[in-house]
Amino acid sequence: MFLFGGHAEQKIRAYPCKSVSHKKLKLTMSTKKTTFRILRYKPGHIDPPRYQEFSIEADPDMSVLDALEKIRLEQDATLMYRHSCHHSSCGTCACKINGTERLACTTKIKDLRNKPITLMPLAGFKPIGDLVVDISPFYDNISEDWNYLKNSENVKYSQMPESIVRFKRFENCIECGACISACLVTHKNKGFVGPAVLAALSNELKKSPQKSESLLSLAGNEKGERLCERAINCSRVCPTHVYPAKHIADLRKLIEDTGLD
Amino acid sequence: MEKIVIIGGGGTGAAIAHDLVLRGFNVSLFERGELLSGTTGRHHGLLHSGARYAVHDPAAARECIQENRILRHMAPQAIEQNDGLFVALDVADLAFKPKFLENCRACGIPTRELTAKQALALEPELNPSLKAAVQVPDATMDAWRLPLHFYATARANGARIHNYSQVIDVYQAGGHVTGIRVLDHRMHREYQVQGDLFINATGAWAGKICDLAGIQLPILPGPGVMVALNGRLTNMVINRLHKADEGDIIVPQRNLTLLGTSIWLADDPDAIGLPRDHESKIINLCAKLVPVVKKTKVHSTWHAIRPLIAQGKAVNPQEISRDFDCYDHKQRDNLDGLISVIGGKATTLRLMAEKTADLICRKTGRNIACKTKTEKLLHYRHFYKQK
Repeated sequence: MFLFGGHAEQKIRAYPCKSVSHKKLKLTMSTKKTTFRILRYKPGHIDPPRYQEFSIEADPDMSVLDALEKIRLEQDATLMYRHSCHHSSCGTCACKINGTERLACTTKIKDLRNKPITLMPLAGFKPIGDLVVDISPFYDNISEDWNYLKNSENVKYSQMPESIVRFKRFENCIECGACISACLVTHKNKGFVGPAVLAALSNELKKSPQKSESLLSLAGNEKGERLCERAINCSRVCPTHVYPAKHIADLRKLIEDTGLD
Repeated sequence: MEKIVIIGGGGTGAAIAHDLVLRGFNVSLFERGELLSGTTGRHHGLLHSGARYAVHDPAAARECIQENRILRHMAPQAIEQNDGLFVALDVADLAFKPKFLENCRACGIPTRELTAKQALALEPELNPSLKAAVQVPDATMDAWRLPLHFYATARANGARIHNYSQVIDVYQAGGHVTGIRVLDHRMHREYQVQGDLFINATGAWAGKICDLAGIQLPILPGPGVMVALNGRLTNMVINRLHKADEGDIIVPQRNLTLLGTSIWLADDPDAIGLPRDHESKIINLCAKLVPVVKKTKVHSTWHAIRPLIAQGKAVNPQEISRDFDCYDHKQRDNLDGLISVIGGKATTLRLMAEKTADLICRKTGRNIACKTKTEKLLHYRHFYKQK
């Protein structure tokens, strides 16, 4: 059964395969007309930005990203948006959905109460086109020396496999920029390094306590945690449980304790 | 030096751009959407040891283990290096084991046999009635960040990378591709690009670029569904110890567990529906390996499209080789100036690029060796430090 796809039946090559389901995949219509209001922008062409509405037949289980793909492929090939992994590990599809920073790939249409569904790019980054922003400044204050890997907390195993010292995993932060977009301070003070940097710094500190003097000095400088106003929007919008506000509070305490403030 | 134009901004395009600039070529790349938004970004992130292919596709298996070693060295920040287990659940799986071990050995893939008790000590969430397991050097890669290392390095070395730039026409004259027409989705304008050689690295979309050039390409889009669950249920990659089939791969990543996959064949990579029954099918099959999969909330379900090489006769798509090929269209279609790179796996991106760049060197008469086995890659974050 299909959710969507624009065809009543998927055309399948007639290979006589036994172990793979090559029966014609049938479409069960449980779709609903859903309208999206998308902020369009093309420098010099759609400028200033203005909203455009698109309607599609959407199964409620579709994600906002699935809908964007359908609109681009069936209605407007010029629609620009970022995407890659479709499961919240790359961080590229973050945008504002009905006013709140979310990942388009894991936001289901059925979970959005307000229709039409309004899409805008992240705030606080230079707009490139439609929902695409220039994410480069995200990386300005994150050092390449900060390890993107950490020990896995899933420690129910009772024995390590030979050749592995410790199970490792990627950090939670997928560098999506949602926290920066939602942060009240970054909009008025471009000097603030922002919640993502401070959270990454705090995680690096946990893994490399020998760096504490230099890291805390960074966190405590004029661009650091002192500028945070405790709105906690960052933790609220983070899609991958980084809890930047908690990290900032931890750093604040460490800085007080070491007398660096 | 010759100007090489790469069409397609996936992992293959990234690695080709990287290889070519190191050899001194002038490189431009055009991608119609965001980089890595086709198949490369969306796969389940398995950095293959090659064991999955050792029995029925040993050529692909050998390539995988070689590249697995190279990538661990080149891009360690984009890989969770926790190895993997092939798990035998029944007597049929146990009967498969000797051939599996022997073929892995022949392909140079290290294995370690484990008893059921040893496997459960490593991974307590495994099906307690498993019979045995084999440890292999599988790993989890970040499907976006790993190839982004290649883009970062290529760009730093002078490659010009253009996204939201769609190739809408291919120009030819006298049996030779002379240029392409690009639609810039951002600036709302079309322009022509000339070059000495054009590389079609669009994977499952390669047939569409060849259509623009008026030629046929034996590419079969082979989509599959993947399911991400909310929770890190294992640390090691878990595979079923049997001939490669659907729903027999579990890939941990961050605090998610990715289940894969299914397979079917399609005509148009831009018109793929999501067969929702595949989600429950994959969950039920993977639950045989790790039962708690059935009780874990689904985080996301999506499809990715394998770029399979059509083999001219009806065959089970599971058996189509995952090897890759470089098609010089001068030999095949009397159309010079165009090369298509098809097939392959995310794990073998660097090798696909090496073979393609070697072909480009032969065609341009340049005797320049590949440097990508030893040249360090820049950290993926470097991609954003260049404007």
